Amino acid sequence: MTTGTIGRIVDFVLSPHIFAPLIYPGLLAATLVLLTLIWAERKMTAKVQLRYGPLYVLKPLGGAIQLIADAIKFMFQEPIMPRNADKWVFALAPVAMMAFTIIPFAFIPAAPGFVGVDVEYSLPLVLSLSALIPPLILATSWAANNKFTLLGGVREAFMMVAYEVSLFIAAFAVASYYGTLSLSKIVEAQSVPGIILNPIAAGVFFVTMLMTASKLPYDIVEGEQEIVAGPFTEYSGILYMLVMGASYMELYVLSLVFVELFLGGWKPVIPALASIHPAFEGISLFIKAYLVLLFAVFLRSVYARYRLDQALEIGWKKLFPLALLSVIWSLALLLVAGGA
Amino acid sequence: MTSQGSSEPRASPYFWYRLMGRDEEGYDVYELFIGPQHPASGHMRIIVRLDGDIIVDAEPDIGYVHRTMEKLAEGREYIKNIPLFERATIIDAANITWGYVRAVEQLLGLEAPPRAEYLRTLLAEINRIASHLYGFGIAGIMLNHSTMFMWAFGDREVWVQLAEDLTGARLTHSYIIPGGVRRNLPQDFREKALKAIRYMEKRLQDYERIFVKNPVIIARYVDVGVIKADEAKRLGIVGPNLRAAGVRYDARIAEKYGAYPELEFEIPVREEGDAMARLLVRIEEIRQSMSIIKQILDKIPDGPIFHEKYYRMLPPKLKEFVESTGRLKLPGAFIRLKPEPGEAVARVEMGHGEVFYHIVSDGSIKPYRVRVITPAFRNVVLYRYLTRGARFMDLPAIYGSIDYFPPEGDR
Repeated sequence: MTTGTIGRIVDFVLSPHIFAPLIYPGLLAATLVLLTLIWAERKMTAKVQLRYGPLYVLKPLGGAIQLIADAIKFMFQEPIMPRNADKWVFALAPVAMMAFTIIPFAFIPAAPGFVGVDVEYSLPLVLSLSALIPPLILATSWAANNKFTLLGGVREAFMMVAYEVSLFIAAFAVASYYGTLSLSKIVEAQSVPGIILNPIAAGVFFVTMLMTASKLPYDIVEGEQEIVAGPFTEYSGILYMLVMGASYMELYVLSLVFVELFLGGWKPVIPALASIHPAFEGISLFIKAYLVLLFAVFLRSVYARYRLDQALEIGWKKLFPLALLSVIWSLALLLVAGGA
Repeated sequence: MTSQGSSEPRASPYFWYRLMGRDEEGYDVYELFIGPQHPASGHMRIIVRLDGDIIVDAEPDIGYVHRTMEKLAEGREYIKNIPLFERATIIDAANITWGYVRAVEQLLGLEAPPRAEYLRTLLAEINRIASHLYGFGIAGIMLNHSTMFMWAFGDREVWVQLAEDLTGARLTHSYIIPGGVRRNLPQDFREKALKAIRYMEKRLQDYERIFVKNPVIIARYVDVGVIKADEAKRLGIVGPNLRAAGVRYDARIAEKYGAYPELEFEIPVREEGDAMARLLVRIEEIRQSMSIIKQILDKIPDGPIFHEKYYRMLPPKLKEFVESTGRLKLPGAFIRLKPEPGEAVARVEMGHGEVFYHIVSDGSIKPYRVRVITPAFRNVVLYRYLTRGARFMDLPAIYGSIDYFPPEGDR
């Protein structure tokens, strides 16, 4: 009877609607991405900048578990709450932020036929779930009751309207070509990678992705040299870990979407891995997304930060027309090719 | 709500402005205190008043690292003030002490031997390069370009090492003393210096690729923080900031001190007066300094490195030591240098600009008064004039471009 119960629990955990959001490609895999990506980012940057980077925590592997040490440190650090802060919002917004970065994993297909909750409109759903984070950042910036956080919040508001529109339009340009809003159907329909079919949309999506996660050259919201840490100035301890982790998680979610829209998703499938779990068949998706992430964080060692008005100009005057152009491009392709 | 508050209409359209603060003149501004506890303020505070994203006024509030150097100098013997003043600009120790030493030499009626003047010039130029690289790195990190920061600080190490080879100390050299210098040129210095120059020339091209010609840097620096020549002259700006505004002024030319009259070099000048011009002037100055170092290594005359008058005071055994090692031991009487009563002024071109010393002697072993006006102190006013009307995010760009060094400004 016990084995039956355990068996049922194991089956329950391994079923797509739990496995996808919580294990792969969801929370557990995302945590792994977070831990290794930040380490890889620091190592890559260090290589460019002629230094070692993380080194002493597990020296034989080049400080590979540095981030675990950092996480433990954050866990035991006192989370200081400013006296004048709106305490509930201040404490709960980071948690909600993290939650909204994890929920999309339930709708992102990880392998052929493997998705937590199969909905027809997974593409707009995932994008709009990640679009819920900027309002939460605004909430934190207001709740912290600090001049620097408020400025950061205002910046986030400006940036949000500048990138969100182009992000959605670029994604829909691809969707309109395939005639579906379902991520799994888009991947299935992709015989030629989307980046070759519609490079404009891919470019716009990638740049807006950087803006969304505020990565260089668009790390304006957290502009350390002017506003300390932007909306996150007052955070410490585990709450700080959550807000910082959320931006990387968001980047991970969007790079999964990027791979599914433009880089052929889980193709080529590796059927051998299906014996472990059906989700691992589509491991190519994870690998491609990881490479996209590595490229995105590598930009840190090449670029400086754009000014706010310059980033808005890029968002509205360059990316927005380009996004519209990518829709026209898709429609023109449809006319020429007569449908996918 | 107090009665005062309720007397005003609550739904005033200025409610949000009031919430954000308003200055005395009724201007609706958002006042921001940047520093001294801020990741990018340095040892100072900048009080910024913002109208939206536009800076209405930025007020540099300095003095957080004031060490009463001028007053301390009155309580120390002349020679002991050298280690004191070099701590004002520890990244440019040779240049800032050279001004003091020149003034003391005038009071003493001394002149350093030619070889000593060449060695002083050599260290001054090494320090100038290191100082510019330091400023370069700060300019990089102010725009969050961490690669430029790390590269410039890493390559500065080359010049700091070179200075150590020459003087025995990385930063606080105390190399330039009244009457000469403390050490002779080491045997293998020429090769090391030429190697450093070759390396730096290669690196400057790398800098150009990753920073100077980086589209983001161009967007952030061109036409940002513009100051024109007449305005710069009126405000008394010095150094590369002045030359980037189109004024050809350099104390090395104006004062003709050290070995500079015998060396060939150019004073880079640009007309634009923006942050990019200031950056490019500094890069060109690094190139010129390297050319000066090469010339010094070729031209340096043989001879003593210390004035005969004091060298004679050394006991024979110490003389032997100085001859064999090239390291000067100061005679005991040197601590009690006693200039005639009088005044002396001296100017020297540092990496940051011109430093000015005015020493008053009352004939005792300690100076009666030492007045030092550092280039950073003269340039700090730029915060106010360059930032007015700029975007808030231009503030770090301007900060980085004017190469302000707070301990130097505060003394």
